[in-house]
Amino acid sequence: MITLNAVTKLYNEGRPNEFAALQEIDLTLARGAMSVLRGPSGSGKTTLLSILACMARPTSGRVSIDGELVSGLPERFLTELRRTTFGFVFQRFNLVRGLTALENVMLPTVPLGADYGQTRDKAMARLEALGLADKAAMPIEHLSGGEAQRTAIARALINDPPILIADEPTANLDTALAEKFLAILAEERAAGRTVILTSHDPRIWEAEGVDRIVTLRDGRIVEGELAEGVLGEDVA
Amino acid sequence: MIFQPPILALLMVAALAALVALWSGAFAIRVLARWDMANMSRAQLRMERMAELVSTLFGAVMLAELAALLLFVFNSDRMASLFVGAMCAVGTLNVNAYGFPALYLKIGVFFAATLWLILDHADRLGRDFPLTKVKYAALLAIAPLILADGATELAYFLNLHTDVITSCCTKLFTPNNPGLANHMASIGEGTALVWLSVIALAVAGSGAYVMLRKRGYWIYALASGALFVAGLTAIVATISLYIYEDPNHHCPFCILKPEYGYFGYVLYVPLFFATAMGLGAGLLQPFANIPSLKGKLPGLIARQVVWSMIGFALFGLAVIWAIARSHLILFG
Amino acid sequence: MMTWARRQRALADYTLAALSRRKGKNIALVAIFSLVVFALSSAMFFAAALRHETTVVLRDAPEIVVQKLIMGRQDLIPGDVVETIAGFRGVTSAKGRLWGYYYDRINGANYTVMVPDDPALIPPVGYVAVGEGVPRARGLAWEGAPLFLSRYEGDLKRFDVDRTFSRDSALMTADLVLMNPQDFRAFFDIPEGLYTDVVATVRNQNEVATIVTKASNASPQMRFVTRADIERTYQKLFDWREGLLVVLAGAGLLAFAIFAAEKASGLSAEEAREIGILKAVGWDTRDVIAMKMWEGGLVSLGAFLIGTVAGFAHVFLFDGVLFAPVLRGWAVIYPDFALAPHIDGVQLMTLALLTVVPYMAATVVPVWRTASGDPDAVMR
Ligand SMILES: Nc1ncnc2c1ncn2[C@@H]1O[C@H](COP(=O)(O)OP(=O)(O)O)[C@@H](O)[C@H]1O
Ligand SMILES: [Mg+2]
Repeated sequence: MITLNAVTKLYNEGRPNEFAALQEIDLTLARGAMSVLRGPSGSGKTTLLSILACMARPTSGRVSIDGELVSGLPERFLTELRRTTFGFVFQRFNLVRGLTALENVMLPTVPLGADYGQTRDKAMARLEALGLADKAAMPIEHLSGGEAQRTAIARALINDPPILIADEPTANLDTALAEKFLAILAEERAAGRTVILTSHDPRIWEAEGVDRIVTLRDGRIVEGELAEGVLGEDVA
Repeated sequence: MIFQPPILALLMVAALAALVALWSGAFAIRVLARWDMANMSRAQLRMERMAELVSTLFGAVMLAELAALLLFVFNSDRMASLFVGAMCAVGTLNVNAYGFPALYLKIGVFFAATLWLILDHADRLGRDFPLTKVKYAALLAIAPLILADGATELAYFLNLHTDVITSCCTKLFTPNNPGLANHMASIGEGTALVWLSVIALAVAGSGAYVMLRKRGYWIYALASGALFVAGLTAIVATISLYIYEDPNHHCPFCILKPEYGYFGYVLYVPLFFATAMGLGAGLLQPFANIPSLKGKLPGLIARQVVWSMIGFALFGLAVIWAIARSHLILFG
Repeated sequence: MMTWARRQRALADYTLAALSRRKGKNIALVAIFSLVVFALSSAMFFAAALRHETTVVLRDAPEIVVQKLIMGRQDLIPGDVVETIAGFRGVTSAKGRLWGYYYDRINGANYTVMVPDDPALIPPVGYVAVGEGVPRARGLAWEGAPLFLSRYEGDLKRFDVDRTFSRDSALMTADLVLMNPQDFRAFFDIPEGLYTDVVATVRNQNEVATIVTKASNASPQMRFVTRADIERTYQKLFDWREGLLVVLAGAGLLAFAIFAAEKASGLSAEEAREIGILKAVGWDTRDVIAMKMWEGGLVSLGAFLIGTVAGFAHVFLFDGVLFAPVLRGWAVIYPDFALAPHIDGVQLMTLALLTVVPYMAATVVPVWRTASGDPDAVMR
């Protein structure tokens, strides 16, 4: 269970261009569920995601994971916690060019000092499960968009994190691939993993298996069901 | 001054270490004034990241100083041919009044930097970095030591005149000369070995005690420090005689020479390592009950004691080996 | 412990892959760095080899040389001093020596002319034995060509060359001309019973100082030079020249350090993004620093090895062609010989410190700055 209490995030704090990306957010996300954060571009979805996933510290407010307060932790321990708790699929995949798919999948394990052979087997198994066995040795530049995303999913899952996070995962995919991606998420959720997504893509909100939709606007949570038109111009 | 690459290298390391000391000293003052883990501001985050730089720099300084310590002794030995009366490092170090202080300060800096890194390591185990202020207060104490080391070394090299007639180990480490070195040499071969054995037993005993009881580590640290002194004394008073197979040659430096198979390193490396670990265990003990360290620190301290005891055991084996293979018979 | 080692291994693996991905940039870096190390190591090896050479040459030199001084200048020494010196306890033998310098007006070279101590080396009357530099300087075309020496305008004295010294240890013998004592006295016009100086050998090394003290009390107008004194003078000379070269190389190193710092701080967009990704997938600031340290370590280790091996080859296989003029002095006659390979721990350690430390120092702050980026930067 992830709980946010009165979380505020200011960018460029104290400078003339100070900007409040999140304001007084109170939010609780349950374990084992699939939650979607939606809202127009610039509403603070990515910022909220990075705070609840220990990527960034809030300017004020409290974040706790399973009852443990994490917002006061030094960066080093946030990183440690993040490594073991969260797996990320980024909007732009963020794979390292020049490395093979397999090497990319193994990246998060480097700081752990895990056994090399075991890690490689685990990474291979992940790639195989996602139908990428024959692409493992290929440099990342040679993969198609869908393959790259599945590689990113494999990387997110390599440390077996209880929570899977994806930021705008379908923004760069066509309908068929987006459906495939949703199917993979549903599987992971069924296997007991918590899934948190951000999206302004209706295909995702309406997807089967979504347990919770949180709507953001101008850095605040909009209460109740989303009124038509809030997202309006942005959906296109 | 003698214009020589090893000297230039040593001065370079000293200058860089001094730079690190000054900069991290200034940072330490800022930490002591403003460090606040509860504050989630950008400034605090920047300080946390800067602390990573300080740790990295200190690790580098410790390694460089270790290399510099070796080079300093090595080079003093090699330069002996430049000075009338010098036959090994002792003669070179005796050319002016700064030589031996520079060596002692170097050893001091090495121990201080190692202990600081141990403290740093312990601090980073706790989720609230509980030792940060202690650590940076300690850093403020170490910085002047590093500066003094650099200054002494510079003074030593600047005053290294080749027309000075110096005195070497045969004169320095003889029982009838005033000074600390002669005290060590004049203790008596048997007495030094007896003391060494007694203190070694004390280390073993206190080691066993702290391993069983998980407390009283400071006793072990004290014993380690005593064993360090006793070990050095025994090297001067007795062990060197066995290595040189000469009942009158009491030199702690000549044993580092190739003629004696670099045997000195076999003695000094474990002795220094074991002492640093032993002192580290004592240093960390007062913090073992801090809530955020409770889970991890006792294990670390216990491991340090084990490593320290292994180091002392290796030193002991080296001593026994030196005596056993020697053709010199001092007793019986 | 195990975890630590495995983590280091994984970091090293990653670093190697990263280095090979940016081959062009890294090869250029290592190449320039190696060049600096090469200059430095050549200078140090060369000086050390010369130092070693003099030690070897001086090993057989007499322990004490006695010179007569008149008004601070060296004068011929009467033969009876030989007996006086030989009379001191601890002196095994004392002998008068004849030697001097000869300025060759034909080619402007200076030869050392002497009567050898070892009777077996004394050439017959009318003959000389010469170091290999002499026929070279004279352009003597064939083996056995006579050597003509001229002391003043119109004077010409013929010597037949009895033998030419081999090349090993040519440092001290290149400009040497050995003569029979009779020829020497005639050529330089030195009366019987006078010598250039007197040499003494001593039974026990440790007694040299005592003997010198006693002897100088007995004959205050004489100067006593010990072998250790001579060795020291040479050492100092070579140290000084070596230091000069090292300072020059050091300037190169400084320039390189600045270049390396520039390179490390001006990360390409691609590289900056890569580090952002690493932080985002769970690398700590420390992990990135460690990875970059591996990178610096591998680069400087590579440059250190390449530069040192190249310097070694330059000095010992190619006779230090690039540096010889500075280190050997500007004499007309260069010794022409292969230096005996000689290398020791002090040199290697000095080299390692002088190369690795400045590189690391120059890059650590830029590396840290890179590593302390925000992990969420790549999310935008
Ligand atoms: N590092 C930053 N500095 C300044 N402003 C930022 C920064 N990151 C995000 N913002 C601003 O914060 C707001 C919220 O951004 P973000 O969380 O990325 O929104 P979303 O993901 O919903 O599109 C935007 O207006 C954006 O311009
Ligand atoms: Mg976004």
